[in-house]
Amino acid sequence: MKILKEEVIPVKGIPVVAGFRWSVGELMDRFIKELGNKKILGAKCSKCNYTYVPPRAWCSKCSAKMDANNLVELSGRGVLVGYTTAYVELDGNGNFRDLEKPKAIGAIKLEDADSTIFMPLIDVEPEKLKEGITVKVVWQEETKGQISDIKGFKPEK
Amino acid sequence: MMREKVAIIGYAQSYHQANMPMTREDMVFEVAKEAAKMAGIEREDIDTVINATNDYYEGRTISELFLVMPIGAYLKDYTKVEMDGANAVFYGMLKILSGTHDIALIVANTQGSTFNPHQISVYTLDPTFDRQIGVLNDISAAAIQARVYMNKYGISEEEAAIVSVKNLGNAAKNPHAHRRMPGISLEEVLSSKLYCDPIRELTMSPISDGAAAVVLASEKKARELSDCPVWIKGVGSCQDSYIRDRKLYKLEGLEAAAKKAYQMAGIKNPFAELDAAEVSERYAHEELMIYEALGFCEEGRGGTLIDSCATFNDGQLPVNPSGGALSADPITATGLIRIVEATMQIRGEAGAHQIPGAWRVLAHGQTGICAQQNIVFILGGEE
Amino acid sequence: MWRNIAVIGVGQTKHGIRRDINAAEMIAEAAWKALEDAELGPEDIDAIAIGNMQGFGGICQAELWSGDLFAAPGKPVLRIATGGTTGGSVAQCGMYQVASGLFDTVLAIGFEKHSDSKEPGATMGLSHVGLANMFHLLANGVDVRTSFAYGGGVGAAAGVSAYQACEYMHRSGCKIEHLDMVAAKSRRNAAKNKYAHLQWPNCTAESLAKHPRFGEIVAYPLRLGHICPASDGASAIVIASEEIARKADRPAWVRGLAACADEENQQAENAQGVSILDTSEQMQCRIAAMKAYRMAGIKNPREEIDVAEIYQPFPHQELMYSERLLLFDDGKAWIPLEEGETEIDGKLPIDPSGGVLSTNAIGSSAMQRVAECALQIMGKAEEHQVPKDVKNAVAHGWGGSTNFTVVTVLGDTPRLRW
Repeated sequence: MKILKEEVIPVKGIPVVAGFRWSVGELMDRFIKELGNKKILGAKCSKCNYTYVPPRAWCSKCSAKMDANNLVELSGRGVLVGYTTAYVELDGNGNFRDLEKPKAIGAIKLEDADSTIFMPLIDVEPEKLKEGITVKVVWQEETKGQISDIKGFKPEK
Repeated sequence: MMREKVAIIGYAQSYHQANMPMTREDMVFEVAKEAAKMAGIEREDIDTVINATNDYYEGRTISELFLVMPIGAYLKDYTKVEMDGANAVFYGMLKILSGTHDIALIVANTQGSTFNPHQISVYTLDPTFDRQIGVLNDISAAAIQARVYMNKYGISEEEAAIVSVKNLGNAAKNPHAHRRMPGISLEEVLSSKLYCDPIRELTMSPISDGAAAVVLASEKKARELSDCPVWIKGVGSCQDSYIRDRKLYKLEGLEAAAKKAYQMAGIKNPFAELDAAEVSERYAHEELMIYEALGFCEEGRGGTLIDSCATFNDGQLPVNPSGGALSADPITATGLIRIVEATMQIRGEAGAHQIPGAWRVLAHGQTGICAQQNIVFILGGEE
Repeated sequence: MWRNIAVIGVGQTKHGIRRDINAAEMIAEAAWKALEDAELGPEDIDAIAIGNMQGFGGICQAELWSGDLFAAPGKPVLRIATGGTTGGSVAQCGMYQVASGLFDTVLAIGFEKHSDSKEPGATMGLSHVGLANMFHLLANGVDVRTSFAYGGGVGAAAGVSAYQACEYMHRSGCKIEHLDMVAAKSRRNAAKNKYAHLQWPNCTAESLAKHPRFGEIVAYPLRLGHICPASDGASAIVIASEEIARKADRPAWVRGLAACADEENQQAENAQGVSILDTSEQMQCRIAAMKAYRMAGIKNPREEIDVAEIYQPFPHQELMYSERLLLFDDGKAWIPLEEGETEIDGKLPIDPSGGVLSTNAIGSSAMQRVAECALQIMGKAEEHQVPKDVKNAVAHGWGGSTNFTVVTVLGDTPRLRW
């Protein structure tokens, strides 16, 4: 197709925002509330013992149904099984933003749990990131029973 | 086993680029028309049309609503697959095998320039947890996977970067590719902008606008219409667990999908029996993991394989002679483009990036962060 | 088709506002119920077909996150979406998966979680069908405020339907009272369906029209009581090959299926216009219906179809589509309505489940039409089971701007020869 004349038409972002408020379900509701008590819950499958973080209503390994009776309290300590340092992040509007201070992200296997969780890593230099180091949860000063109560994880000395 | 054979008798792809100077309606119209023309069919001959497009990438609900007409689906059996376009080929194949349709037109499209697909990857995460934590997107997840994989098997960043050198160099011979870098060096790749360690600008796929189309036909129609039908010998598809509960150091889902495809095609030693492979490698290290999952080498030996140069165009098993996803990634169309490229190889129509004598070629498409869903096709010329 | 295939299990969640569970749990609930109904375990399922309208729930490709809850890992999954008729297209995808011979037992799930959207109803999801086009035109200096197409089109399905209702009333001579009758029947039937959303056991055309809230005209001729809700819900069916289906008590055999897409109806890309002057024409529905009936070996649908589940988020669509599905003569569907023929205990019951008018979780609603027909044939529709013998049933769905149609014919016996 031949373009006859090219013209640049400045277009601003469309001022339409779609907002969402996801219902979390009973198990996730408990998990989030317990964050307020500085506790991390998991769900342990009674059939195959696979322990999920955060808790969920069905086991994906053996299909057993799970409920509040499967909830277990975890220590908040875990092992770093993977990591990266982000130098660029997304701004939520589809743009990349260079980070002044790079952010470390960890893939963590919590003690007595099987799922991998992905969390910000704090107080750690990118060079010091290593698989196998022990990390512990860092809570906000004041926890309110919401996901942001977890500030991140940091290496345990 | 398949009771009947299905073949590809026509194909087309756009000239993939960062910002295509045409509407998406025009973009799909061109590839649909071209594919039908190559197949030697008129619109009346098409029995069913399947579009692969994703509402989020398109930035509108029912994204296919205005594409129905340009892809020739007016008053035709029609549906939309909202995953990588290779899955739409699979669905077209199912419709033909059912005996209810003889000719299927498959069109896949994404204009990445509409909205950053990396932002959209965030919307595939668990909205009650991972999305709230806010650290994951497809790039950071791939970066973590890269480190886990490379640490476990002692694979270096250089070895992963060689994939970029290979693919971006291959793309120089592919007029349809978006990012073509003839003579690209390892140093250039390794000094490109760092996003999430170790993922860099040149070790991750570009954001592209593009579309592709294929025409599928039942055996009877294929023999009637085509002088070189490209047969679907085998296909396998598999979804892996969500990122929190799956292995990161290998692509288990892809391994399972490949096994099914090989079994159907009667392939026992893929490295020896395949002539080429077109895979969807969104990240350079991912291609190494793909080698292992596809059984081209043993587990953990992806680095060794790339070092051996066997997957370069003059090697024993060229992988991504077209340049792969690293050279053009119009997300939903990417897997379909791999099928188009594989078809071109078999028909001897790949021009400057033709692998001589290619007769049995693998094509792969993926959907989801860290290649959670995978589909593998084995395509072959007449035996 | 080379293989006879059947629906051997149905599962549904209670549809309504479900803030008690998250989207993944909701999908899983329907999936496990369907498996239980089919008396199968997850290892028996060879493939999965799933779909919804992603924009409404704010999750892209939700099966990636939620698949772990319904045994998707390890299986091939196909995601399908076609606007309002997504559920019907998902059901047909499942049917083709089995009919192809590559899979013997497939689970097909349709779902939607509208309440996860902050905006009321499905307004946000619906409005961005045409929004991109609208801004494209604005950027090019076209004043869309006076555009007839946009008045209807930007509201997509809802907008088109208001115009369509007028066009249908003009074509058929039916009155707003007939729309009241259809809506009232839907609410009454829904009251007998434990999974339905809006239930009003004693609703009559008069009580609806006179109701201070529901009787109010929102966009002529549609009253508030004529408009479907935005529900949360999931529904699932298990489809099996003949060999496996024969082990079930009373499988619902898939005798015919077809889909057809027409022009967009109101706007066209970049709003340059369409050739459709009467949106109640619905050519693609006639075509899909004829194809499906031919495949099913049904020569006289009016006599041979025992129950119809028609996709009617707006009441005129029940009348209109019953004609396009060749169950009644063009423009005459209001006569059997007046005579009570389409009641649950009538000669040709339409939407005994209450239909989409009373329950609309978009990704699920067209799947429910197939599921409800299957339930009627299997004799499992409980309180809303039609009292007559059900030999053949037709399930219908529409999507987009009423331009996608999906028609499935189910029966109590398979076609022996295709």
